[in-house]
Amino acid sequence: MLEVLIFATLNGLVTGLLLFMLASGLTLIFSMMGVLNFAHASFYMLGAYFAFSISQYLGFWAGLIFAPLIVGSVGALVERYGLRRVHKSGHVAELVFTFGLAFLVEEAIQFIWGRDTKNYQSPDILDFPLFTLFGQEFSAYRGFMIAISLGIFICLYRVLTRSRIGIIIQAAITHPNTVANLGHNVPLIFMGVFGVGTALAGLAGVIAGPVLTTFPGMAAVLGSIVFVIVVIGGLGSLAGAFIASLLIGLLQSYAIASDVGMPELLNLIGVSFESSHPLNDLWTLTLPQVAPILPFLLLVLVLIFRPTGLLGKREE
Amino acid sequence: MSILTLKDVRKNFGVSEIIRGVSLDIKEGEKHAIIGPNGAGKSTLFHLISGRYNVTAGTINFNGAEIQNKPPYEIARLGLARSFQVTNIFPRLNVFENVRCALLWSNGYGYSFWHLLGKQTELNEKTMHVLEQIGLKDKALFPSGELAYAQQRALELGIAIASGAELVMLDEPVAGMSHSEAENAVELIRRITEGKTLIMVEHDMSIVFDVADRISVLVYGEIIATDTPENIRANPKVQEAYLGEVVTSA
Amino acid sequence: MGMIKKLSVWIGYLIVLLALPQFFDSILAISIFNQMAIAIVFSLSYNMLLGQGGMLSFGHAVYFGLGGFLAVHALILIEFETVYFSILFIPLIGGVIGLLAAIFIGSFSTRKAGTIFAMISLGIGELIAATSLIFTDFFGGEAGISGDRTFGPLFFGVDFAQDLEIYYLAAIWVFIATVFMYLFTQTPAGRMANAVRENPERAEFIGYSARRVRFISFCASGLFAGIAGGLFALNYEFITEENLNAITSGRVLLMAYIGGLGYFIGPIIGAVILTLMNSLLSNYSELWMLYLGIMFILTVMFLPRGFAGFIMMHQTAWLRGNLKQLALPYLISGIPAFLFSMTCVAMIEMMQTEEQSFSFFGMQLATDAALTWIVAITIAVAAFYATRRSLPQLRDAWESANAIPASEKTES
Repeated sequence: MLEVLIFATLNGLVTGLLLFMLASGLTLIFSMMGVLNFAHASFYMLGAYFAFSISQYLGFWAGLIFAPLIVGSVGALVERYGLRRVHKSGHVAELVFTFGLAFLVEEAIQFIWGRDTKNYQSPDILDFPLFTLFGQEFSAYRGFMIAISLGIFICLYRVLTRSRIGIIIQAAITHPNTVANLGHNVPLIFMGVFGVGTALAGLAGVIAGPVLTTFPGMAAVLGSIVFVIVVIGGLGSLAGAFIASLLIGLLQSYAIASDVGMPELLNLIGVSFESSHPLNDLWTLTLPQVAPILPFLLLVLVLIFRPTGLLGKREE
Repeated sequence: MSILTLKDVRKNFGVSEIIRGVSLDIKEGEKHAIIGPNGAGKSTLFHLISGRYNVTAGTINFNGAEIQNKPPYEIARLGLARSFQVTNIFPRLNVFENVRCALLWSNGYGYSFWHLLGKQTELNEKTMHVLEQIGLKDKALFPSGELAYAQQRALELGIAIASGAELVMLDEPVAGMSHSEAENAVELIRRITEGKTLIMVEHDMSIVFDVADRISVLVYGEIIATDTPENIRANPKVQEAYLGEVVTSA
Repeated sequence: MGMIKKLSVWIGYLIVLLALPQFFDSILAISIFNQMAIAIVFSLSYNMLLGQGGMLSFGHAVYFGLGGFLAVHALILIEFETVYFSILFIPLIGGVIGLLAAIFIGSFSTRKAGTIFAMISLGIGELIAATSLIFTDFFGGEAGISGDRTFGPLFFGVDFAQDLEIYYLAAIWVFIATVFMYLFTQTPAGRMANAVRENPERAEFIGYSARRVRFISFCASGLFAGIAGGLFALNYEFITEENLNAITSGRVLLMAYIGGLGYFIGPIIGAVILTLMNSLLSNYSELWMLYLGIMFILTVMFLPRGFAGFIMMHQTAWLRGNLKQLALPYLISGIPAFLFSMTCVAMIEMMQTEEQSFSFFGMQLATDAALTWIVAITIAVAAFYATRRSLPQLRDAWESANAIPASEKTES
């Protein structure tokens, strides 16, 4: 039991931190520009594919460095030539634009790289068990994922709280007009934040690709979960996004690891049903089955009862 | 007979007290102006009465019903209509639709999805009548968002008075208008609020003294005087707090 | 003018709907018409939300899918003689289910419009799609469920085994649904939906609860989405989880947006164009979804009001009798623009194909010859340049065609 708990916690931590790398960029972009970037997970997917292609020629580490840079540049271009144009038609148009972008990226990836799963491997140098606990191995690559994610989190935190540009960004989050009036080039900051945010997503894709498999549906798998996180954490709150990322990561990990289901629960209270009952599916529900639903259930509940999320201040 | 009674109404935003115990009695049919320096809380008071904000304490009584903390639509249905300081219309609907929407509830249509508006001859005639009153009859099919500023202000008034509410509250109706536009607007206000109760916030003292039967002076969230224009002008407390210079210059 | 003109538009619409199979009677054509019928009702119902009511939904397939699933279950019940009624009313069953689902979900999701509404709709959509996969008895898992539409009582000897018979049934339903959705826009509730979309705050100060107004539009929209789901069930006789998940929700957004939100006819145009492209292009190219994505992005960027908006843009020029001034500039810009996009398509197809040569509009292109690529790139660059050069002229022509004539100017 204990080993299950420990490994579920570690895996939940890996997922949670990975989710945060996506959620942090999404939150920054939302706070600055008021746009929920539907295509955010598409940049994550682009990161994985770029890194895969680069790693074919130059190895994993080159991919780790160059793929996020390319993704960030693509993101900046999308902001400059796409989003900025749509901006004047209002928030709904912006949301629809990013939705279309997500659609387009998925199709474009299938066109360029094909529909099959890519054999994108973690580097050999990290291909050993970091430690063995109760006879179960924890791979070094997962440890590396945790390290990278934590490193990014610390960097981001320091940049936002210590540097000049970080302070401008923080100010722009709460008082965008004032910042513009102070003579800062807000469009340039927007483009930069969009670029950095998408680069972070790209980086997440680079390190997640080998573990979560690199295939055209990988954006769709994570995309809505990341949305859930930024809403639960509170739109525009980085700390909230961090808590929510870990929460969702752990929640899913525990739910998958546990094998508790309705039959056990019903047995506890001494009830049992015939398997021919029309609601049989309900009585035999297990927690792993429910795991994919939990984030969305949480999302809907949060939106109904606390639309500002855990730590958010603004409603819109 | 008083139509609106405020008793010790208070409003805090966080720790700052914006309205600090306002009691006010508006008589049926009177034209009442609320004046005061910037930041005195005039617009906040309007928002409290019309339901946009909840009060922190106190009661507001309109025609015998307690309306504090009720949502705006319930207050509006009781016969209290208001306009806004910043033009607040339905920009992509045409002028006619703007006014007709404002007439729907008071004419008993509610949320009906079984009446066809094109067939409601009486409603459409009433709408045209309001448009005529506010001088926008020939702009009926014009997108309201593209009207000139003074015309948008006239439409703003039109939406407020269309329902035929007993009590009309106007928040700086002539703000931003040129002198001649303002004169026309005052004429318009006089005409369309005939026989109704009017409360208005206005900075232009000549208009206030011209239109109002009684004036309340709001300073830092408190009403320091409520009286006829002559007495307000003569009131030393008011002069000290606010009026002196303005009156002499006006 | 109003009454007769309007009536003749509606009669014309009905005639077109009923006469279509007379002109195109191939099996493919009928199948396309059936898809169109479903798409028209579905995207019109979506427009009630987003276009008329300002509510951006990422989960509209829920009402379509639930309606469809219950409709298939109704077909199954008819088949096993548990109930006995004509399948004419199957779409109505879908509609009632869509309405009930909308009443339940709308009761909490319509509190706010904007981003919050969009997020709730996304969450509910994912939630219901994922839940449906768990309850395999009812939803049939990945494979879905199927029924048979021919077991109901005959309708004047018709058993609806043929697609053509279903088409006439669908056409009538499309007509009824379109009429009612149009009439809804003319009622107080429909008009207040526009007002709330524009300015929810002011709507509250003229006596209307913005939430209640949204709720009514939301329910009406769920009803018609359910009817579309019922039509789907009748046409295909099966339904799967895909019909209530994000794919279908996304498709209806694309359809309504490309057609043109805010115009009543927009979603109809979108439904027709997208169904046609889906059925016809997908035969020629595996990449049609990629083209659809590009087309959608371009629409959002350059034609924010869709095809209907593009057509309506010409109203002023037409009223001033200047439309023909635009014909030549349109041709001058349009031909190179068309050439450019077709060359791009050719190059994309050349990249995709594994053959050494493939036929593109009758031309045999050698995909591995450098010369083919050089020629293609040259044409593309030249065409792009020509388009750019011609745009200022088009803009000038546009401005002069829309300019207020001197005679009107002096009056006002």
